[in-house]
Amino acid sequence: MSKLARGPWRRIILIGFVLAWSGPLLADAFGSMGQAQPYYLGQGLYFPQQALRVGGYADLQFHGLDNHRNALAIEDLSLFLTKDIGARWKMFGEVELGDAVTVTDHHVTTRDANIDMERFYAEYRVSNGITLRVGKFLTPVGQWNLIHADPLVWSVSRPLTTTAAFARHSTGAMMYGTVNLQNHDLDYWLFADDSQAIGFARSHDLAYGAYGATNSLKNDFIHAVGGQFLYHMMDDRLSVGASAVRYTLKDPLQQYRLIGIDFAWTGRHVEFSGEALQRTADNPTVPAEIGGFLQAVVPLPRSLYVVGRYERYRSSTQQGAVSIRSIGLNYRPVRGLFLKLERLDGSRNAALDPSGWFVSAGVIF
Amino acid sequence: MAGGSIVSNAVAKDANELQIAIIMSRQAPVTAIDSNLLRSVYLKKIFLDPTNRVYVPVNLPPDSKLRRDFTLAVIHLDEPQLQSYWNRQYFQGISPPFVLGSQTAVVDFVAKTPGAMGYVRPCYANAQVKVVLLLTVIGAPADAASEHCPSDGGH
Repeated sequence: MSKLARGPWRRIILIGFVLAWSGPLLADAFGSMGQAQPYYLGQGLYFPQQALRVGGYADLQFHGLDNHRNALAIEDLSLFLTKDIGARWKMFGEVELGDAVTVTDHHVTTRDANIDMERFYAEYRVSNGITLRVGKFLTPVGQWNLIHADPLVWSVSRPLTTTAAFARHSTGAMMYGTVNLQNHDLDYWLFADDSQAIGFARSHDLAYGAYGATNSLKNDFIHAVGGQFLYHMMDDRLSVGASAVRYTLKDPLQQYRLIGIDFAWTGRHVEFSGEALQRTADNPTVPAEIGGFLQAVVPLPRSLYVVGRYERYRSSTQQGAVSIRSIGLNYRPVRGLFLKLERLDGSRNAALDPSGWFVSAGVIF
Repeated sequence: MAGGSIVSNAVAKDANELQIAIIMSRQAPVTAIDSNLLRSVYLKKIFLDPTNRVYVPVNLPPDSKLRRDFTLAVIHLDEPQLQSYWNRQYFQGISPPFVLGSQTAVVDFVAKTPGAMGYVRPCYANAQVKVVLLLTVIGAPADAASEHCPSDGGH
C-alpha cells in the first residue's frame, strides 16, 4: 500500500477546519488590505478576509550517483499555511509530499511517495523579544536545519553535519525572539521536546538521508532540551552562533550531549558559511560524532553563483572520518526560481553520502 | 555596497540628497522613531509598538527607485541579500511588508490603518498622517519620476 493511503490525513482535515473556522476573526483588522496585492513568487497568496497566507515550494531533482542507477524525482512539494489570529496569535503548518514520482531506467513509480506533516505549531507573541511556540517545529541546531528547503540553500546536497547527529524535528515547546545586545541583534531559541509523550505527527528523520545512502539509522527524539544563540554584526553581514542540546534518541536508545557552532559572512565578492558540532554519548563505549563544513559562494554575472563546500565528518557508525567535497553552480534567473548543478566527491562516504552528479530545479511560490 | 548614507532630520541641501519621510497615522501613539527601530520594523524583528499595537509596515513596488533607496539606506542590504533574508523568513511563516502600488496609496493606507508605517517623499505627506522620522540620504539623488509631487501630477 502506498504511503499516501496512510499518513496524517485526519490531521490535515482538522487543520483545514480550524483555519476555516477562524476566518472572520481578523476581517476588520485587515479589511483595508482587501485591495488587490501584486503577487510575486516567494511571498504566497494572501487572503486578507481570512488573514491566511498560502504558499510553499517545489523542486525536481536528478541524482546521477557513481555506480548507481540514475533517478529523476519530484523530490519535494511543500505547502505552507500561515494563519494570523488576532494581533498576537499565529498558526503555521507545512505539509510535504516527498518523492511523489520517481523515474529510474524508464520505470516510473510512486512507491516512495510519502506525505508528512513537516511542521505544525501555534505561536503567541508575548512581547517584541519573546514568542512562545507549541507544536512540531524544526530543531534549532545550526542554521542549515532551520532553512533547509531546496530553494533556500545553495547546493543540492546537504552536509552530514546538519542531519547525522540529531533529530531534525522536535515536538514540544519553544521560546524564541530577538533582543538587542550592545546595538546588535541577538536571536535566541530555547526549546524542550517530549516527542515520546506527545507523539504528534512523528517524523522518522534519517540520520543519513542523502539519495543512495545505505545507512538507515534514524534520529528520533524521546526527550530533548536545548537552545541556540545567533549574534548579528555588521548590519547582518556577519552572524555567529552556538547551539547546545541534551537529548535522548529512541533507536538505539541513548542519551547524548551536543554542542555546535556556526557562522555566516557575506562580503561584496564572496559569502562564507560553516557549521561544526560534537556529539558525545553518556555511554562511554559509544563513539562521539564530530564534524563540520565550510562553504563558499562566489557571485558571477547574470545571477549565476559558484558554490564550493568541504566537509569532514566522523560518524559513530563507521571507522574513520569521511571527507566530502562539493562544487557546483546555482542560477537564479528570476525571483523565486532556482537551478542547481553539483558534483559531490568524497572518501569513505559511499554509505553515508554517495558521490555523484546532482541537478535541482526549484520554485518558491 | 551601493547606496547612500543617512543624515536624520536634516534638510536636503543639494541635488545629491534625497529626503524620505517615514509616516504613521495621526492617531498612532508613536511620535518619533530612530533609524534602528525603523530597520527592525521593516525586517519584522519588532512587531509591537510601545502600546502593544502591531506595526504594519508597507513597501512600494520592487521596481520603485524610492524603495531601492530606502532599502539600501535603512535596511543596509542589497536586493539579492534582502531577497535571501525574506526567503528565510517566509520559510518560518513571516512575510515581508505589504506592497502598495504608489506613494499616494501608501499615504491613504497609513492614514486609515492603526499601526501602519510607510515611507514617501515628504511632499506626499498630508494632514492625515504624521512624519515620525525624516531621513536625508546623501549620495542617492532622486530621479525625475520620484521628484514629482502630487501637485505636479506625480504618484
